[in-house]
Amino acid sequence: MGNKEVLRKNVEELASRVNGTVEEMLDYLVLTVKAPYITETLTAAKNFKETPCDFLHDIAGVDKMDHFEVVYHLTSLRGPQKLRVKAIVDRENPVIDSVTRIWPGANFMEREAYDMFGIQFKGHPNLKRIYLWDDFEGFPLRKDYVTEPPEVRNIMRVRRADE
Amino acid sequence: MADILTEGTEELLLNMGPQHPSMHGVFRMIVHLQGETVTGIEPKIGYLHRGLEKLAESRTYAQFIPYTDRLDYLASPHNNMAYCQAVEKLMGIEVPERAEYLRIILAELARIASHQVFIASAALDMAGWTAWGYPFRDRERILDLFEMVSGSRLTVNCMRIGGISHEPLPEFWPALESFLADMPEKLEEYYNIYLGNEIAQARMKKIGILTKEKAEELSITGPALRASGVQYDVRKAEPYGIYDRFDFDVPVLYGCDTFDRNLIRFMEINESLKIIQQAVRDIPEGPIMAKVPKVIKPPVGEVYHRVENPKGELGFYIVSNGTTKPERVKIRSGTFVNLQCLNEIAVGTYVQDLIASFASLDAVLGEVDK
Repeated sequence: MGNKEVLRKNVEELASRVNGTVEEMLDYLVLTVKAPYITETLTAAKNFKETPCDFLHDIAGVDKMDHFEVVYHLTSLRGPQKLRVKAIVDRENPVIDSVTRIWPGANFMEREAYDMFGIQFKGHPNLKRIYLWDDFEGFPLRKDYVTEPPEVRNIMRVRRADE
Repeated sequence: MADILTEGTEELLLNMGPQHPSMHGVFRMIVHLQGETVTGIEPKIGYLHRGLEKLAESRTYAQFIPYTDRLDYLASPHNNMAYCQAVEKLMGIEVPERAEYLRIILAELARIASHQVFIASAALDMAGWTAWGYPFRDRERILDLFEMVSGSRLTVNCMRIGGISHEPLPEFWPALESFLADMPEKLEEYYNIYLGNEIAQARMKKIGILTKEKAEELSITGPALRASGVQYDVRKAEPYGIYDRFDFDVPVLYGCDTFDRNLIRFMEINESLKIIQQAVRDIPEGPIMAKVPKVIKPPVGEVYHRVENPKGELGFYIVSNGTTKPERVKIRSGTFVNLQCLNEIAVGTYVQDLIASFASLDAVLGEVDK
């Protein structure tokens, strides 16, 4: 069995345990789970038999309008396996467990997702804004964020009321 | 006296940067000091944050290419290539052979130029003024070569979705040949004046240790990972473009210290020269642009594409919703993640070692801050 088939078997087994769905997008296997299962999922993915996905490559937040997605890209330094794990996060109350206990390298990546989307990572050692200043208002990569500065925004609002 | 040794002295907070010559841009760190020993570092970034990911959402796919130049501005062809290849993967575009070869020549030239800046600035951070001049002198020749392809020197921006914008001028090829012929000798020159120096060796060996285990769990990539004893390179592990056709080695060192992180760059320049020589030998004639629709409208879907930047792995995660503008572009930049190991490599050393260790990570703030 090739690496890809073993990985697929492992992922499908894991998906049935954590109520996830598996699909294939271009060259990636994508596993979608609900936010509460994320620690279990990633711990299992890190310790897959034969195809451990043990290198956290990236964490990205995505705004899907009715929910957020936190997308984890996993690879390995010892094999060609790669996996994309998506966690569905509630938009009203965006909370998800931090994976800094599994990979300390998630520190900056989670801070970035918090900075841009306001996703709260529970258990993160230092969850502060990383790019923007501390008293910045709003989360700029959310789709409903208004990009004009407040003073311009107010002028526009007045104009709109006049028209 | 005994009290000072056991309990330490009063903690001193030292603010370094953002305007400081050794910070390679606008990086700022707050250093906790006991005497001259570093006990903790808080990195502060974001002084060069331009919100490229937000900008991408209001630009068309082609309009975003010039922005990628401004990520790692010392190796802009790499960023162009990563982004264009990501979009091509999403749309299923085949790039003509000649364009693939030209891309690789430009990318490897950029790798050499980036490492030259690294050597120069790392030497300068340790007050090696003479060693600063030599790499910069030769980097001019690479910038001249870029100028012959695209007309610009730093932000090259000659790659398009589906190929490359310009055929190089006729004088490009002889200039490239003579550059390739001269470079091994120059490399020896850099080595002798910088790493061969006894003082430089004394300052860098066994300083700034980043073990293999720590590097892996901190998601370190690029030369910093390879200097910690992991032989991993995306060009070999998951070849993009036509890298699988070239014969080259992935250098690896096991010292895990600042010296090895410097030395590995010299070895990588050598490998890049090999790749360029093979590419110049094999490059075919033919078109340089694929047939691409006028309006670029990728299908609904998502793609993740990563390339080996000179400083780490650069990844583009693009989510398309079927319109002419991307729904989300996430840039995974190598040095942003690599900076996490600062605490690991510098705590317990002296302030001047911290400067050398930070220089060995080769951070470029355009890429860190996005």
